[in-house]
Amino acid sequence: MPTPIIDAVDIVKDYGANRALHGVSLQVGAGEFVALVGPSGCGKTTLLKILAGFEDPTDGGLKIQGKDMRGVPAAARPTRMVFQKLALFPHKSVADNIGFPLKLQKVDAPTVKERVRAMLDLMHLKPEYLDRFPAQLSGGEQQRVALARALVSQPSVLLLDEPMSALDAKLKKSLQAELKKLHREIGTSFVLVTHDLEEAMMLADRICVMRGGNVVQIGTPTDIYYRPANMFVAGFIGETNFLPVDVARKGDAATVSSPLVEGQPTDMPADHISPDLTDKGPALLVRPETIRFVTGDPEPGLWVLNGMVDEFFIKGSSTQYRIRVSGLDAPLVMDLPGSIVLPAEVGQAVRVAFDPSRAFLLSE
Amino acid sequence: MSDRFKGALVDTMLIGSIVLLLLFFYAPIATLVAFSFSSSRVLSLPMEGFSFEWYGELLAKPDFLPAVTNSAAVAAVSTVFATALGTAGAVAWIRYRFRLQRAFQVVTFAPLLFPQLLLGVVMLLWFSVLGNWLNFSTGLVTVIIGHIVYITPFALVIVAVQVFGFDDTLEDAARDAGANGWQVFREITLPLLWPGIFSAAIFAFLLSWGNFYVSYSLAGTARTLPIFVYSGIAVGSSPIYPALATLNLVPALLLVAFAEFMRRRALKRQSAAVPTA
Amino acid sequence: MKIERKSWTDPVLIGSVTPLAAVMLFFFVIPLVMTTVLTFQTTQYYRLAWTWDLTIWTEIFSKPHYWTIMLRTVSMALICVVLSVLIAYPCAYALATRLKTYSTQIQILIIFAFLTDAVLKTFGWILVLDNNGVLNWLLAKVGFPPETLNLLYTPTATMIGMLYNLAVYPMFTIYLSLMRIDRDLILASYDAGASRLRTFFEVTLPLSKPGLYSGAVLVFVLSLGAFLEPRVLGGGTSPMASELIRQSFETRVNWPLGAALTIVLIVIGALTLAAFGFFTLRRKATKGGAA
Repeated sequence: MPTPIIDAVDIVKDYGANRALHGVSLQVGAGEFVALVGPSGCGKTTLLKILAGFEDPTDGGLKIQGKDMRGVPAAARPTRMVFQKLALFPHKSVADNIGFPLKLQKVDAPTVKERVRAMLDLMHLKPEYLDRFPAQLSGGEQQRVALARALVSQPSVLLLDEPMSALDAKLKKSLQAELKKLHREIGTSFVLVTHDLEEAMMLADRICVMRGGNVVQIGTPTDIYYRPANMFVAGFIGETNFLPVDVARKGDAATVSSPLVEGQPTDMPADHISPDLTDKGPALLVRPETIRFVTGDPEPGLWVLNGMVDEFFIKGSSTQYRIRVSGLDAPLVMDLPGSIVLPAEVGQAVRVAFDPSRAFLLSE
Repeated sequence: MSDRFKGALVDTMLIGSIVLLLLFFYAPIATLVAFSFSSSRVLSLPMEGFSFEWYGELLAKPDFLPAVTNSAAVAAVSTVFATALGTAGAVAWIRYRFRLQRAFQVVTFAPLLFPQLLLGVVMLLWFSVLGNWLNFSTGLVTVIIGHIVYITPFALVIVAVQVFGFDDTLEDAARDAGANGWQVFREITLPLLWPGIFSAAIFAFLLSWGNFYVSYSLAGTARTLPIFVYSGIAVGSSPIYPALATLNLVPALLLVAFAEFMRRRALKRQSAAVPTA
Repeated sequence: MKIERKSWTDPVLIGSVTPLAAVMLFFFVIPLVMTTVLTFQTTQYYRLAWTWDLTIWTEIFSKPHYWTIMLRTVSMALICVVLSVLIAYPCAYALATRLKTYSTQIQILIIFAFLTDAVLKTFGWILVLDNNGVLNWLLAKVGFPPETLNLLYTPTATMIGMLYNLAVYPMFTIYLSLMRIDRDLILASYDAGASRLRTFFEVTLPLSKPGLYSGAVLVFVLSLGAFLEPRVLGGGTSPMASELIRQSFETRVNWPLGAALTIVLIVIGALTLAAFGFFTLRRKATKGGAA
């Protein structure tokens, strides 16, 4: 990576006796879109506030555009923030809200007006909104005004603190698309905090998954999805199956076997093994869409499990089955395409199979 | 009795109670206004005719206008101090945590729980003792101090409600946009607390303007309007007091109308939310 | 609301706290101490003598006259509490549940009346309650004999005046507690099959208790100091404590006596407040802060 815009090294943050961040490092490149993802309390918002200058790190170094940010207040940083609840000033009109950062920089009034206009165009907001007050706008419009206010002073990094968490699903989708497009157009670095990994995968160039004040994995959406570091990251993406396995390692290679299945021990391809693999609870990550029902003898190489249909859900484009397998705590989840023909009833004994070499080996 | 009828009966009784309350509250005020236009010197019913003569007689009273000036001066100065002190105090009450905060809260709230006359008496004793040492006597200045002590807790409570509902991420947002401490205060904190501060100021002014007990204890030989009325009615009733009461309502009405206008304007701006698309 | 911990070296804290604290300390706390100190002095020839003895306190505790008046004051205050709560509750309830569209206007009307010059309002009551006043005139109009009610210069008139000046306080405290009740709780009670009346007694009333109690305490404490009402409307026939205090200052020029009577009243008020604080704190402790 060329010189990063944000270079955070070993950031530690303590609140009294509580340690919110245990030495987190993160680099954000110019024009990059990075998402910080994790469950609540994982430290993602704390990290964002440290980048913005609302919190001081207890320890660690932070450089933005190569400059040390120690003691630099939020106002003086080349970052701007879009707040979770937007924080539009209720007593200022849309024009005054957007123009506020420029006014503070003592930009002359005609220029402010011009640039506010330009932001309005960029955000696809109608010019007659200029004189309205935030409360008179819809949720999506408020969102755009908040973005406009954050971008008007041309920051080099835009920080977004779950700005879409309060919106309904449909509006969220369309704003996500707009945000991605906006990022492509203006080339500013974006750092987005979200608890929604799906959102992060849609938008970000790189995703930083956090848990308990630590970074668990940093990687592209493809990495995160196909090569999750461990069960936490894999489980965070969506519904999936973890099948406990015995692992015999030989250097980089590994052979897996399981007493729960009918099938031979299998050699895992090198790129189907997590680089973070440990001895602790090794398991195969088996995606729901890779499992199918079998009757009679399966093809060689497949692993077969015997179980009973616990429940099924028709999801429209697919049907989800939950199969109870003895020896597994959670039912096995499988997604079959289509929902017109239902191959099994609740309570029916079934055989299901998957290809272990297409699964992914990881650990807790 | 059907449920519906019972419901209607309860509704009527509840609304009736408010109507009765308003009648109760406005009975003496309406009576005063009515009598102020009576042409008879005797304040009894039925009224004989309509006239403005008592207004003339009131204005002709030599100690009337000085009392008005005194009341206005006392109210203006007390309002400024009570509102400023109350606002600073409200922020400290709600937003800050500091050593001795509990004591601060008790001391700044206690005058609200104090019968006014006792508050006046206690301060009078202190001012008399101080006056003996420092050679001054009670007058308008002591009245103003008394009003500040009495009214500041009211102002504090009113502003505190506003501070409590204040969204502090707005201040963070301003800081993020590049504002320094003073700019945050001037552009965000103050305008957003303003409705509370404004109501506190109006409340303070009217409390001071109409205050009798504290003024009575601390005014010495000076006279404010309520003292003027008190000493007048002690001597005997006269139709100039209804006239005074009516005049007294005018500035208060204007103030309240102005406050209501401001409130509506703010309301129109800030909460006429279009339902989320 | 972000809570900021501030140290006493922070200029922002010093700036916002010290002016008010100084005013209250110098003009409220010190005068209270001063008043207490004065009760241990005596007067000789209408002048204060710094003697440090218990003359005044022995006088107060030995003369039943003072205690008759104190007892009357406390009973009037208690009656005032009961009546003002009875007046205030339905009004606050109506304001919170029935008249939402006009609620602000009605509140402004109430506050406006509250803020009007107390002496003038009291004078207005004379005109209403007088034997030849508005009330009797209206009663005569609807068929009652002339001068039906002889209210003026009776304790009833005093009570009317006190209610008039104090009922506003519980109205607002009760209204605020009622507004804080989650509407869903009421609906949940209806949903469980409770009638409106049952819901009121099982849900609304208990949840509005904080407002009810604080309003009641406020009325009690403030009515201890009623002065205009007993003097102007009661005609001084059944004086209350404040009249006694005024006399000891103005007529008898006995400051230590006035100070001591003031302290007695303050102690009665403070004990009531302390008891209230004690019980609410204990309730909070036992009910997990539900009240």
